[in-house]
Amino acid sequence: MKKACLALLATCTPFGQAAVATEPGWTYYGGNQGGTHYSEAAQITQGNVGELAVAWVSRSGDVATYGAAMENSSTQSTPILLPPDAGQSLVYCTPFNRVIALDPGTGKQRWSYDPEIDRRGERAFRCRGVSYAEEQRVAAGSACRHRIFVATQDRRVVAVDAINGKLCDGFGAGGIVNLEPSANHAPGEVSSSAAPVVANGIIVTGSTVVDFVHAKTPRGTVKALDTLTGKLLWEFDPLMGNEDSGSANVWSQMSIDEAHKLVYLPTSAPSPDYYGAHRPGNNLYANSIVALDLESGAVRWHFQHVRHDLWDYDSPAQPILFKWRKNGETVPALVLLTKQGLIFVFNRLTGEPLWEITERPAPPSLIAGEANAATQPRPIAPPPLIDAFLMPEQAWGIASWEKMACADQIAKLNNLGLFTPLSEHLTLMYPGSLGGPNWGGGALLGGSGKLLVNINNLPFTGKLIRTSQIADDKKIKRDHPGAGQRMQVTMQGTPYSVEIGALQSPMGLPCSPPPWGKLVAVDLINGTIDWQVPLGSVHEMGPVKLPFQVNWGTPNLGGGIATAGGLFFIAATMDRQFRAFDSTSGEELWRYQLPVDATATPMTYSYEGRQYVLINAGGHHMFKRGYGDFLYAFALPRGSDQ
Amino acid sequence: MKYLTKLQILCFLLAASAGTVHALGFKVVNAAGEALPQVMVSRSPVNTPEANLADNGYAPNGVTNQAATTLTRFTNTLGLVEFDDTVEAVTYRARAQGYIDTYLTEPGDTLVMKKMTREQYIASFPSNVWLSKLDFGGDIELKKTFQLNCAFCHQQASPSMRAERTVEQWLSIIERMNSYGARLPDDDHQRIAELLQQEYRQLRTNPQQVPEPRAWETHLSTIEMTEWPVGDSFSQMHDFLLHPDGHVYIGDNLQDRIYAVDPTNGEYTVFKVPHDTDAKLGGFLGNRFKTFPKMNNYSGVHSFAYSKKDGNIFITPSMQQALLEFNPRSREFTVHKMPGGFYPHTIRIDQQDRVWFTLALSSQVAMFDREKQAFKLYDLPTRGIKEWMIIKALPLIFWTDPENRPTPAPDRDGTGLPMPYGIDVAPDGSIWVARLYANDLARIDPKTDEITMIDFPFGGPRRLRVDAENNVWIVAFQDSLLVKYEPESGHFSKYSLPVVNEIPYSLNVDKKRRVVWVNGNQSDTLLAFDIATESWKVYPLPRQRFFSRDVEIDEETGAVYTTNSHFPTWQSEGGVPTLLRITPLPQTAGAGTDP
Repeated sequence: MKKACLALLATCTPFGQAAVATEPGWTYYGGNQGGTHYSEAAQITQGNVGELAVAWVSRSGDVATYGAAMENSSTQSTPILLPPDAGQSLVYCTPFNRVIALDPGTGKQRWSYDPEIDRRGERAFRCRGVSYAEEQRVAAGSACRHRIFVATQDRRVVAVDAINGKLCDGFGAGGIVNLEPSANHAPGEVSSSAAPVVANGIIVTGSTVVDFVHAKTPRGTVKALDTLTGKLLWEFDPLMGNEDSGSANVWSQMSIDEAHKLVYLPTSAPSPDYYGAHRPGNNLYANSIVALDLESGAVRWHFQHVRHDLWDYDSPAQPILFKWRKNGETVPALVLLTKQGLIFVFNRLTGEPLWEITERPAPPSLIAGEANAATQPRPIAPPPLIDAFLMPEQAWGIASWEKMACADQIAKLNNLGLFTPLSEHLTLMYPGSLGGPNWGGGALLGGSGKLLVNINNLPFTGKLIRTSQIADDKKIKRDHPGAGQRMQVTMQGTPYSVEIGALQSPMGLPCSPPPWGKLVAVDLINGTIDWQVPLGSVHEMGPVKLPFQVNWGTPNLGGGIATAGGLFFIAATMDRQFRAFDSTSGEELWRYQLPVDATATPMTYSYEGRQYVLINAGGHHMFKRGYGDFLYAFALPRGSDQ
Repeated sequence: MKYLTKLQILCFLLAASAGTVHALGFKVVNAAGEALPQVMVSRSPVNTPEANLADNGYAPNGVTNQAATTLTRFTNTLGLVEFDDTVEAVTYRARAQGYIDTYLTEPGDTLVMKKMTREQYIASFPSNVWLSKLDFGGDIELKKTFQLNCAFCHQQASPSMRAERTVEQWLSIIERMNSYGARLPDDDHQRIAELLQQEYRQLRTNPQQVPEPRAWETHLSTIEMTEWPVGDSFSQMHDFLLHPDGHVYIGDNLQDRIYAVDPTNGEYTVFKVPHDTDAKLGGFLGNRFKTFPKMNNYSGVHSFAYSKKDGNIFITPSMQQALLEFNPRSREFTVHKMPGGFYPHTIRIDQQDRVWFTLALSSQVAMFDREKQAFKLYDLPTRGIKEWMIIKALPLIFWTDPENRPTPAPDRDGTGLPMPYGIDVAPDGSIWVARLYANDLARIDPKTDEITMIDFPFGGPRRLRVDAENNVWIVAFQDSLLVKYEPESGHFSKYSLPVVNEIPYSLNVDKKRRVVWVNGNQSDTLLAFDIATESWKVYPLPRQRFFSRDVEIDEETGAVYTTNSHFPTWQSEGGVPTLLRITPLPQTAGAGTDP
């Protein structure tokens, strides 16, 4: 491992913050094991980003292969760049878990591997990334010394050789470990989407569980495997002790502090999302950040940010590890971003909060038997990223009649702010399950303690309906609502169905004032918001596409990255734009129109003296705005001041 | 000394085990084994008694339920506390300044409490000490405006409130609170939002600037506190009444219900206040709380007084032009429609059985003559032509649709809203009224109907009471003072409160003991002022964010009652409103005494 560290100096230093002699790379999904989404690459700067142009485009071939199945997919993958010893390929996965390696300078395909996943089930296809490890127990120069791991939709962990994409014999059965015998669950009920995390010869992987439709869903068990053999090393069931519920799984990206042998799990809600009378109490370790001993899986510390969740406030984002420097003191720290728009900062070794956490009283549920928590935690700073109230006076509309219609809707909603439980009366959900922040997470500006995070700022409404009052042919089972939809799901095993949808005007616009998507700069050390700007243009969201941008912010999925060049790159929006912002002011400095929305997190690296910025563009099934299979690479033109 | 202490402990434990057959005593100590005095120990039943709550979560009309009674006592200087034993399963919570709350269900002889860290300790300070360090950029008048308009529903510097917010988030809160009924002038919004952000941030950075709260004192071990939770998280138990039939009648201002609590056994009976079938939620004011999940305030039950003649209870329904009369024997309501006036507020009955109450919005005082079954309205003077015009326009304003009615913009003087608030009847028959925004007092002579206005030299005369010597005691809300007015000399005396930056809402006078009791809403306390010695005793209350608006005194026993009337209730610790009684303990050699 030491050798690998030398080769990968950029990423083995504390989370990419140190100056490096080698070219900056991107060896992990989040840029490094701590998910800082930051690169020391500084060739592209605030001064020259205007010249940024397409260097190459690679297409995965998924559109040709899967055709209409792409409509039920979202392209979320962030490539990684392998170190020179491992072939220095760019490697990423497509929504169907095909693993593709490219030449980082040209985008030409070097190899690909198709796990040929089981595509039954309704779960949308997605894959956020792959992981790389150098296996020290395999001789240098031998097959599978350098390994790529991918966790598939159909619950397998696959190990392939980083050099040629061939399966690694000796890992599980012929390079594949089956995590979940398919007989246990309906197809798609349990799946994987995040990149596994790997360190010290251990792979840790979570799962995605369909947690709407049953009171008792599959367990959200996290599994640790041996990188050489695939042997199960340990398991962790976040919902231990509660047999009447399920899920609390880790669908988002985990982080690892290799030096301290800790893996950080962002756990999700217990099942079902919006009703919990059958799961009394706080439902530990759901909706938590859980620090486990990497080698044993033992809990070192935990913090639950939502008790007895009734809002689907999963922990959505990769925990960000960084050095907290304040008053001459340096603390190894962790940032937890939550869907509800709260930011918690901890000493990542002890779980001690670095900003005081207060108990905020929460309104009670009106549902019989539902005993929600009387208080919920809230950090005293930084401020919430979203103002969770929306009053009739704040209703928004382009036309006055539209505004009045929204005010009328809002006045009829139950709304006591954040953590108002759903009842049989329509209730404001602000933020809804989309967040706030989501899986795109945030990016740290080097060692400054400044965080940039993209958020959604959209109100939803929801209510519980007694299932007995719904005709059998109207009982529906569906995932998150798409654009303009109202979702209705029968929560089997409970007395209720849940109905959720966006709070919209008759014209289909949000009833809250814009911006509906924002980019926010947070000073974690001072606990303040430095600036915030709209993220995205709505010019393509109406019935007619406008020829000019209207920067009111759009719903967004995917994340952004920061660079030492003073830039923040992000797509994520519903306008097909890939943007670069001045990371100190939020000023938009550059943008490029992609063929489809790009709901992935970009990455950057330097290769042979040239800095590239990459973004996967394939659309998102929830946005319903088209799909594709593009990987775009941008760079300064050769011969410019690169 | 050591020998004496051991002897005293022995005596205490013997008394606990033998003095009363079923008594449970224990000692509270710190980690070093040192006795902790003035520890608040609260005993609550583990299981809430079953209750019929079939009427939208409340007891149906006339149904009696049992409250889950909590009893609180304080350790004495030896760290000892004693409770009567109980057959039901109970849990104990020990709370002490600077120590982490400790819970247990099976206390042994000793209960050990762990000390807070310095950070935890400062964070645990009540609202008033944090608030005391906000100086609003040196603009004391701005701070008073803020306190007058923002501190009458809930605490201002609780941890939730002092959390970091952007200026826009503060503005959003201010605008929301104004839509609920606050009257913060538009011109002050931006400045206050900026100052709240700056000064809370400054305090968080320099928490050592926050003064320590007043230490709990030894008199606490001579009393016990009993709490009866009634209603739910969407209730607001506003004013109440000690009735000679032995019940305490409490008004749920938001749910239009009256709770008759029997303090001898904790049973309570609910009576639902009737309203016209075509009545609208929120009455003439309209529903200001549209987004609240549970709201049933057609009447807005506010204040209570009973007739010494027949025991009937008179109630002000703030949202109606009416006066309610409740016969506790027949359990029937009578609605007396009023010819005019808006917002019936605080109510008292004089020696001639006439019912007097303030009309807070129309700046009037109403008198209901029970014999004639007729109202007489007294117009209080306006402070200028603009105010006169606004008040005269009220019938027209309230005639229009609540959704679209014009609302005069508030200013710092509350122009158009002098707001007669507290009222009381003096032993000499005078009627005294305090006008909150006008900073004046009114005296009505019922014999001549003469109205005399007296400038109040402090800010925010909210509620008042008259003592046995005809002196008027007034709380000055935003000025944090208790004030005595002597009508004969015209002299005002001001008394600083014993805790910093308290914002006193109400008060009452124990005429027999010559003690004035004052609500301490920012400090989770009740404050007792001994008139003779001009000294204070402070009583910390068992729940954080305990916001009380009324005090009643049982002059026979010396017991003092108040209700937790925080708005919204679910933000108060425990999330349920309670009726609280402070009772002096028998002065025996056992529990409750300080050796």
